[in-house]
Amino acid sequence: MMDAGLMLVVLLAQSFEQRGFIEDRAVVYPQTAPNDSGRVVDELLVREEASYKFTPWLTLNGGFDARTDSHRQTARDWTLDATDRSIQRPAFSVRRLSATIHRGKVTAEIGRQLIRWGKTDILNPTDRFAPKDYLSSVVDTDFLGVSAARVTYESGGDTVDLIWQPLFTPSRTPLLNQRWTALPPQAAGVNIVDAGARYPGGSQYGARWNHIGSGYEYSLCFFDGFQNLPSFDATFSPLTQSVSLTREYPDLRLYGGDAAVPLPWLTVKGEAAYFTSSTPGAEEYALYVIQLERQVKEWSFVGGYAGSVVTREAASPLQFAPDRGFAKSFVGRAGLTIDANRSLAIETAVRVGGSFVRFEYSQLFGQHWRATGGVAWIRGDMTDFLGEYRRNSYGSLAIRYSF
Amino acid sequence: MNRILFLAALAALPALAQDTRDPRQIILEVQKRQHSDSQRYEGTLEVTSQGNQVATKRWVYQRIGSFGNSKAILRFTAPAEVKGVGLLIVNHPDRASDQWMWRPAIGRDQRIALQDRSTRFFGTDFSFEDLEERDVDQYNYKLLSDEGGMWKIESRPRKSSQYEYSYFWIKKDNYTFVRIEAYNKKGLVRTIDYKNYEQIKGIWTARLTEVYDVTRKSHTTLKYEKLEYNLPMKDDDFTLQALRRDL
Repeated sequence: MMDAGLMLVVLLAQSFEQRGFIEDRAVVYPQTAPNDSGRVVDELLVREEASYKFTPWLTLNGGFDARTDSHRQTARDWTLDATDRSIQRPAFSVRRLSATIHRGKVTAEIGRQLIRWGKTDILNPTDRFAPKDYLSSVVDTDFLGVSAARVTYESGGDTVDLIWQPLFTPSRTPLLNQRWTALPPQAAGVNIVDAGARYPGGSQYGARWNHIGSGYEYSLCFFDGFQNLPSFDATFSPLTQSVSLTREYPDLRLYGGDAAVPLPWLTVKGEAAYFTSSTPGAEEYALYVIQLERQVKEWSFVGGYAGSVVTREAASPLQFAPDRGFAKSFVGRAGLTIDANRSLAIETAVRVGGSFVRFEYSQLFGQHWRATGGVAWIRGDMTDFLGEYRRNSYGSLAIRYSF
Repeated sequence: MNRILFLAALAALPALAQDTRDPRQIILEVQKRQHSDSQRYEGTLEVTSQGNQVATKRWVYQRIGSFGNSKAILRFTAPAEVKGVGLLIVNHPDRASDQWMWRPAIGRDQRIALQDRSTRFFGTDFSFEDLEERDVDQYNYKLLSDEGGMWKIESRPRKSSQYEYSYFWIKKDNYTFVRIEAYNKKGLVRTIDYKNYEQIKGIWTARLTEVYDVTRKSHTTLKYEKLEYNLPMKDDDFTLQALRRDL
């Protein structure tokens, strides 16, 4: 007969799931940038995600990141950051810490979690609870968790999602003294001081209704909160002959929707949102994406157009707005699964003033190791969102051990 | 009609009074003997490429309902980098299934469009369509031969499918599938062999399936472990929310 202790271990093991990886990624830039002479950046990330199912209806989820890098974009102190609001990337951060409660048609998740809205892949105008980490690249980003309560009701083909986020989490922007902050030529010789951020108080709310029909899906959504991408408030100090830049996050209200319709030859996906703001001087605009998808044997193709319409211009040009920056672009992605272990991917964005193309080859070795090598090429005018990063073309190599 | 995976588990009761010259009745009897209200197994897949490189994957498969009125969730447990990736399959009696794939790394689910179902599923030699379960009435059948203790039946889908037709070899003594050859317009696409049959809760069940992709010259073996039938399961655990819920 199995003793009680062994039985307990077996039961615990059945309720506990984990996954994680250790990844080292080296990026080589052939060119220096005006504000960054570094040519090689190495980043190390350890990510662990785990869940424990206490009962069939209650699960505790945790996700934890530990990082360091060669470029001092990651903080070098031993504090654990539970909110991910710092200017530098924290060395230790809580990516997820939440409880999921599931009863019948209702699922609630409370705590730090990742929330994704939208259907398109190129750009997601409606994905408002998903701030990103742009610190080490604006063309290769990761999502940040948010502290929120989310209740989802699912009945048949209809899902209603209600979200309350009491603590604001901004997207993390590139540091001012590093290459992914493209300073205008007029700023040459000016002492620029990073004065941090003024985070808005108050909560963010969102609601989304998604309907799945026979051969189509669509959703409508509403968001009331703050823009997670900053505008910059510039202050000149005659005493120190410097300009201080402070990040600010205007109010934002969104009305949006998305749809996916599989047709006989390809799938059409669309997503659109209209953004208004009660903050004086904040921009008001619409973003939309239309994309086509198709799989042909081992190839997958996604291509489309991301557009924007500005209905009220921003009072200040000092904004970090990659969502707007990738608008008015033709965007495409092609992926090839060579075999069970190897794959290729090509990604591109083409605008009138700039373009970006990335090529990646990835190979799995055994059950745990993966190597991914890539080359990205960025070209364009200094006045264009992509073009301003034209000195940031790079080659990269990432080695990942998954466990 | 069950495409591939479900065909691995077939019943073997004595032949009932029926017209064994009617191929639809034969398939109906196969379904009847295979019937279970739910199923769960842990699958180990070995994918061997043309160059003899072997990749091992594992998944946990759970199904509620049966033949054309069922839902299934398949979730990878290995290799580590795909742990948590899931596929929800909602089968319908009168049309092709709905399928959604969940990738925890990006936190998004993706509907698998009908025209994309011929694509290989996560580097294995199964296509997405092979993972769905179709009712007997979604095909037309023709009995081609009745010899050597086996029936050879041609099956042509009435609804959209990557396959033009398939040949089934079914053992007469226990109504179990032995082999399937699936053809498209250009010719033979896949062969599936069912092996190592055992009776589990009175249902003859293949413990090994071998899929051979003729075009790519690669093959996948799927071993069924900890296979159980008629476990208590809830409908709520086979929804999009359920797909997203687990790690």
